[in-house]
Amino acid sequence: MKRHSFTSHCVLAMACGLIIALSLFAAPTKTHAAEKTYEIGTDVTFPPFEYANDNNKYVGIDMDLIRAIAKDQHFNVDIKPLGFNAAIQAVQAGQADGVLAGMSVTPERKGTFDFSNPYYNSGVVMGVAQNNNSTKSLNDLKGKTVAVKTGTTGAQYAQSIQKKYGFKISTFDDSNNVYEDVMTGNSVACFDDQPVLKYGINQGTQLKIVTKPAAGTPIGFGVKKGQNQELLKKFNTGLANLKKNGQYQKILDKYLNAKKSTTDNHSFFGILNQNKVFLWQGFLQTLWLTIVSIVFATIIGVFFGLLGVLPMKFFQGLSTTFIYVFRGLPLIVLALFIYTGIPTLIGTKIPAFTAGVITLMLDEGAYIAAFVKGGIQSVEKGQMEAARSLGLPFGKAMRKVVLPQGIKLIVPSFINQFIITLKDTSILSVIGIIELTQTGKIIIARNLEGFKVWAMVALIYLIVITLLTWLSNWGKRRTKI
Amino acid sequence: MSKIKVTDLYKQYGDNHVLKGVNLEVKDNEVVVVIGPSGSGKSTLLRSLNKLEEPTSGSIVVHGEDIAKKDANIDKIREQIGMVFQHFNLFHNLDVGKNIMLAPVELGKLNKQDAEKQAKKLLKVVGLENKFNASVDSLSGGQQQRIAIARALAMNPDIMLFDEPTSALDPEMVGDVLQVMKDLAKEGMTMVVVTHEMGFAKEVADRVVFVDEGKIMESGTPDDIFNHPKNPRLKEFLSKILAV
Repeated sequence: MKRHSFTSHCVLAMACGLIIALSLFAAPTKTHAAEKTYEIGTDVTFPPFEYANDNNKYVGIDMDLIRAIAKDQHFNVDIKPLGFNAAIQAVQAGQADGVLAGMSVTPERKGTFDFSNPYYNSGVVMGVAQNNNSTKSLNDLKGKTVAVKTGTTGAQYAQSIQKKYGFKISTFDDSNNVYEDVMTGNSVACFDDQPVLKYGINQGTQLKIVTKPAAGTPIGFGVKKGQNQELLKKFNTGLANLKKNGQYQKILDKYLNAKKSTTDNHSFFGILNQNKVFLWQGFLQTLWLTIVSIVFATIIGVFFGLLGVLPMKFFQGLSTTFIYVFRGLPLIVLALFIYTGIPTLIGTKIPAFTAGVITLMLDEGAYIAAFVKGGIQSVEKGQMEAARSLGLPFGKAMRKVVLPQGIKLIVPSFINQFIITLKDTSILSVIGIIELTQTGKIIIARNLEGFKVWAMVALIYLIVITLLTWLSNWGKRRTKI
Repeated sequence: MSKIKVTDLYKQYGDNHVLKGVNLEVKDNEVVVVIGPSGSGKSTLLRSLNKLEEPTSGSIVVHGEDIAKKDANIDKIREQIGMVFQHFNLFHNLDVGKNIMLAPVELGKLNKQDAEKQAKKLLKVVGLENKFNASVDSLSGGQQQRIAIARALAMNPDIMLFDEPTSALDPEMVGDVLQVMKDLAKEGMTMVVVTHEMGFAKEVADRVVFVDEGKIMESGTPDDIFNHPKNPRLKEFLSKILAV
């Protein structure tokens, strides 16, 4: 009996703690207002349909439209700038009620979405660098590379004519990266929706449009097939009302004819100054995400690490499996799986932050479990034998002799893992958490100053990691390792 | 009266048969020295006596209880069997005094003050009374081994097992450790010693046991074993080590 008491106590205490902690996060956060609130997934970077303005509020044709419709039809919207692909998946997983992201109505998408009446008709145009005078038509693309944004009609159009014109395709997640790729000359041209590219050029992107709009497609608001029909109806009615009272045209004019705002200071410090609050918030979110995740990852990692050194095959197997599975999965896959997969399984939404914490908890937890297990196992076998030979039970021998020596070996790895976790939080931008990296993406979507903004973001990461490294060296000296 | 009685002890790791039917009895106050070539199974035999090695089959009766059984209260029995290892295995996270005090205090045998008193007394016995606060890693091998003996004695055992206690020591350290062991033997401690120190065997052993290929090949007084060996493998073994 005695031999098992250490194990069972530990298992019980840790399991309880974990469940309580997780249930705090997973607790339903729905509010029941008089007017129904719908969660609308959208893109982070698709001007003029949606982008964050100078005050980092989401604006654009889609945003103004949905807010006006919501007002007209008496409901509330909660805008989730997830990115186009993630927004689509979020709707399919039931994490969001609808997607409004300049989405073209295609037969393929009609298989999984119900669409509203189209609110815009778009066409794909080809853009080339301003100083490029040799690429004038599709016929000039043979053997060259073109850039497109994933999931857009531009990308589909490019694929449909790829064989005919014999070019290669590079895909990116953001419009800005697409434009940068053309401006730097990696790609010779890009395909994008006309209003999107036009807006970019109005904002100072060094590209020009060389073809007429092709492959014109209607753009609509989508909900999961068979779901949220009430919302769809409200959207259609509201849209009709706006068209009637002229508000619709006003919104289109506002964004399609927008000129580059002259008040913007596009120098490094100008951008920094303008976005310091937003960047600071993103940084705090990154830090908070890191701290919460590392706490849970430590709990679960130490738990599974200890299971791995118990003299029972079953627990060792459990530990090995946990480490194998979660260390083997790419973080981005795990994040998307948890964010879109778990709601499908259990039928309720989970907040992106919770999904992010669970993701990091499992991934970093697996690494922590591995080095906790390794650290304890690297304590000489003779230490345990000597303790047991004196009559100490396994648990006491572990706590008094083996663990204190194992922990000394583990401490540096812990600090290292903390730094890795901080960096890994950036991957959670794929599920729409507005941490530092996502903040950078949003700012760039507005000002199209990719190089300067990424430099800022990189600098912030480096500064924090430098501080953490100093802290870790100080910690190492303190523990005399 | 017999303190330890081993009957038909087998031990195998996979296909490797290390012990192939060992029978051994150790009487009260007896000093048994186990000799044999390396890989013969003598360490495995010794480590089976406090179940650091789980026997494959057979019985090992210590103080009237068969520890080979699954439900044996092995911790209780280990309290009465001290063990000294080839590589000392002092606890690196504790200083010398705490190494000796750990087991008696943790197992509720002594309170802290009494355990400290006892530890100082034991340090005197092994000739290291000024090392109470020393860190383990600052000591020489010979000193560490004597501390390890003191640590084992702190549980007040009535059997002591020694697993090649001097093999990892520099030659000039061996004498001190052997002296402590001789003193213990003189006081009537029941001891089982695996060693290559033939001088110690001749001088201290009541009985010498020759183990080879997982079996006890010959057993007898030091005079029988060293001066009138019968088993050809024992003869060969002795000729090799005495020629050096």
